[in-house]
Amino acid sequence: MQHPNRLWIVYLARAALFAAAVVMAVAPMLLATRDIAILTEFLSLLTIAIMWNLLAGYADIVSVGQHAFVGVGAYALFGFAAIAHVDPYLAIPLSALVALVVALPVMVIIFRLRTAYLAVGSWVVAETIMLAAGKLSAFGGGSGISLPVSVVRGFGSRVTERYATIYWIAFAVAALALVATWLLMRSRIGLGLTAMRDNEEGAGVVGVNLIGLRVLCFLWTAPFLGLAGAVITLQKLRVSPPASFSIIDWTVYVIFIVVIGGIGSFEGPIIGTVVFFLIREYLSEIGVWHFIILGVLSIAVVLIEPRGLWGLVRRLLPADVIPISRRRRVRR
Amino acid sequence: MDALLDITDLSVSYGPFHALGPVSLTVGAGEIVSIIGANGAGKSSLMKAIVGQAGRSEGKIVFEGEDITARTTAQIARAGIALVPEGRRLFPSLTVEENLRIGWEVGRQGAFGFDEIYALFPALAERRTLHVRHLSGGQQQMVALGRGLLANPKLLLCDEISLGLAPVVIADLYRIIPEIRDRGIGIVIVEQDITRSLAVADRFYCLLEGRVNLSGRPTNTNRDEVARHYFGM
Amino acid sequence: MGELANQIVQGVLVGGLYAMYAMGLSLSVGVMRFVNIAHGDLIVLFSFLILALIHATGIGALPATLMTLPIAFVGGYFLQRFLLQRVLGQGVLPIILVTFGLSIIIQNGLLGTFGADTRRVSGGGFETATLRIGGGINIGVLPLTIFIVAILMVLALDWLLYRTRLGARIRAVSDDPATANLVGLPSARVYATAMGIVGVTIAISAGFMSIWTNFDPTAGPSRLLIAFEAVVLGGLGSLWGTLVGGIILGVAQALGAQIDVSWQLLAGHIVFLVIFLARPEGLFPKY
Repeated sequence: MQHPNRLWIVYLARAALFAAAVVMAVAPMLLATRDIAILTEFLSLLTIAIMWNLLAGYADIVSVGQHAFVGVGAYALFGFAAIAHVDPYLAIPLSALVALVVALPVMVIIFRLRTAYLAVGSWVVAETIMLAAGKLSAFGGGSGISLPVSVVRGFGSRVTERYATIYWIAFAVAALALVATWLLMRSRIGLGLTAMRDNEEGAGVVGVNLIGLRVLCFLWTAPFLGLAGAVITLQKLRVSPPASFSIIDWTVYVIFIVVIGGIGSFEGPIIGTVVFFLIREYLSEIGVWHFIILGVLSIAVVLIEPRGLWGLVRRLLPADVIPISRRRRVRR
Repeated sequence: MDALLDITDLSVSYGPFHALGPVSLTVGAGEIVSIIGANGAGKSSLMKAIVGQAGRSEGKIVFEGEDITARTTAQIARAGIALVPEGRRLFPSLTVEENLRIGWEVGRQGAFGFDEIYALFPALAERRTLHVRHLSGGQQQMVALGRGLLANPKLLLCDEISLGLAPVVIADLYRIIPEIRDRGIGIVIVEQDITRSLAVADRFYCLLEGRVNLSGRPTNTNRDEVARHYFGM
Repeated sequence: MGELANQIVQGVLVGGLYAMYAMGLSLSVGVMRFVNIAHGDLIVLFSFLILALIHATGIGALPATLMTLPIAFVGGYFLQRFLLQRVLGQGVLPIILVTFGLSIIIQNGLLGTFGADTRRVSGGGFETATLRIGGGINIGVLPLTIFIVAILMVLALDWLLYRTRLGARIRAVSDDPATANLVGLPSARVYATAMGIVGVTIAISAGFMSIWTNFDPTAGPSRLLIAFEAVVLGGLGSLWGTLVGGIILGVAQALGAQIDVSWQLLAGHIVFLVIFLARPEGLFPKY
C-alpha cells in the first residue's frame, strides 16, 4: 500500500488527457490561425517523438537518423501530388508507403552495425539520403521547390480553411500513431518489448525474438514518420533537403523531447512535447541558449532520473495514466 | 592471534534473491582454509563479496585489522588480497608476460618475482611472448595463479581453480598450494572437488543455503559427517 | 590522365586529415567500446580554442596547437572520469544521449561565443607552398605534412598501445574492466587516461584542420561522420585500418568532385556504404 489514496490523481490525469483530446479535435473552431499552426507542429513532433521513443526506449535502436524518413515522406508527397498529379489526399498515405519501402534497405544497412555504432551509422545513411535528394532536379535540386498552388488549393481555397484541414490531417496522423502504437504495446508484442526494455538478455533467454521485434519496430515507425513528413510539407508548402531532412527539427528536438519527458514510457513523449513547446515559446528568443539548456537538461536527466519527468511523477502515482499492461484494474 | 581476514555477519543478495549469509569466518596468515558446499550454497558470492564485487552486501569484513567493507575492488586488491577468479578471466589481448606484469606492477614487493613464477611454472617461461588465447586450459590457469601471486598478496583466494582441467594438471596446481602457504600467505580455496580441497586444507567451512553449517579441521572430522552437511541431510 | 592522377594524390592527402579525425574515435571505440557523438564537435571546439589563443597572444598556429595539447589531455581525462564513466556499462542508450547532449552544448556554446561566421587560421604562408613533381601532380606542403604526421600518429599510438606498460594496462582494461579492478588496476583511471590520449589526437587534428579547411561552430557533425566512416571501413579498433579508411574516403570524395563539386560528399558516403555492405567487419578487422 505505497500510494493508498492517489488513484484519484491517475483518474484525473486520464480525464484531463481525454478532455485535451476532445478540445484538440475541435481546436480549429476555437483558436486563431497562428495557434492552429503551432498546434499542427505540436502534433507532428508528437508523432515523431512517439516513434523515436518506441525505437530507443523499447527496441534498443538508438537512431540519430530518423529524420531521413520524415524527409522521404515530404519528398514523396511532393512527388505524388505535384509531379505525378495524384489526388493530394491520396498522396498522403502513399508517402507513408514510400517511407516504408525506403526503410527496408536502410534497415539492411544499419542492422549490420552493433547497437553502439548504429546511432552514427543511421546518421550517415540519413545524410546520404538527404544529399541524394538534393540531386533530384524535378524536386528543385539542392535549393528545393514550392508546392504548386493547385495542390495547395486542394486543401481549401481560403487560408483559414486550409490551416484547419491540415490541422485535422495532423490530428488524425498523431491520433493514429498514438492509438496504433498503444495497441501494439498492449499486444503480446508489447509484452516482449517491455521485457526487452527492462532486461534485454533476460528477454532473449525467455524466448523473446529480439531481432524480430527490432525489425518490426523499425518498420513500424517508418510510415508514421513519412506521414509526419507529408503533414509538415503541407504546412510549410515546400520541400528542400536541409529543411525537409532537418536533423535539428526532426531528430535533435525529438531526442530532447523524449529524454526529458521520459524515455521508455508511453506518457513520456507526450509530456516531453508539451514541455518542449513551452520552452520554445518562452525561451526561443534567447537563441542558442535554449539549445544549451535543453542539452544540459537532457544530460542531467540521464544522470539523475533516466526515466525523465514522467519517471519523477510516476513514483508518486500508483498506476500509469496510459496503461499498457493488460491488467484492467489497479490493485495494490 | 588476530586473524588475517575476519568476516562478521556477511550477507549478499542480488535483488530479491538472497545468496549468502549471514556468515562469519576467519582466515589466518599461513593457513589454508577450504570453503565447501553444493552448487548455489553461496561460495562464489562469498569470494566476490570479499573483493567488493558482489551485488549488495551487508556485514563487516576486516583485513589486517582494517575495515575494508566499503572499499573498491581495486583498493582491496592493492591492500593485499588477490582473487584467482573462476573461469580464470585472463586478458586475451595480452601476452603471458603482459598478463603477469599487470599483477606485478600494481601489486606489492615481496617473495614472488618473475623468476619465481617461471620456476614454479616452467611451461610459462617458454611461452612468455605468446598471447594467452593460444595456451591450454592448464597453462591459462597457471597464468591466472601466477598473476595473483606476483601481486605478492597476503591473502590468496582461489575460486574453482581445477574446473575443466586434466587430473595431472590439477595435481600439479595442488602441489604448489602448500608451498605458497609456507611463505606465510593465507589461502582460501573454493572447490567442487571436496576430497582434493580437504586434503590440503588446514581448516574448512561447509556452506549450505548461504550459511555455515559445519566447520573444523579436516583431520578431526569424519568424512561421512562432512558429506551429510554438504548435502544438508 | 595527369589530372586524374593528381586528383587521386590530393584525395590520398586529404585522407591523412580524415585519418587524424578518426584516430581518437578509433581509440575510444577500440578501448571503451563507445562512439562519442561529440567527437567532431570537440575537434571544432579545439580549433576555436587555437584561434582564440592566436588572437589573444599573437603566437603562431604551431605553438598555439602545442599549447592546447596538455589542455586536451586533462580535458579528456576529466570528461571521462567525471561524466562518461558514470554512464559506462549501463547499455548503449545513456552514453549516446550524454555525448549527444554534449555535442549540442558545444555547438551552441561556440555559436554564442564566436558567432556563426566561417573561420580559418593562418599558417603563415606555409599552407600555400607547393611541390611540383611533374606529370601534372602538385603536392601542397601542408597536406603532405598532415599526411606524414598522421602516419607518425599511427606509429606513436601503435607503439603506445603495444610496446608500453600503459598500453598493456589499457588493453587489459579494454578486455575486461571488472577483472582489471580485481588485480588492482583501477579501470576508471585507465579509461580516463585513454580518453586523455584521445583528447591529444583531437587537439592535433584541430590544429591542422584550422589551417587547412574552413570551419564554423556547426562543422563538428560532418567531421564525426567522416571519422566514423574511416573507423568502420578500417575495422573497429585497427589504427592502420583507420588510416586506410581515411584515404579511401579522401580519394572517393576527390573523384566525386571531378563529376561535380556537389558530388564530393555524396561520393564519399556512397563508397562507404558500398564497402560496408560488402565487408561489414571492415578491411582490417582486429577481432
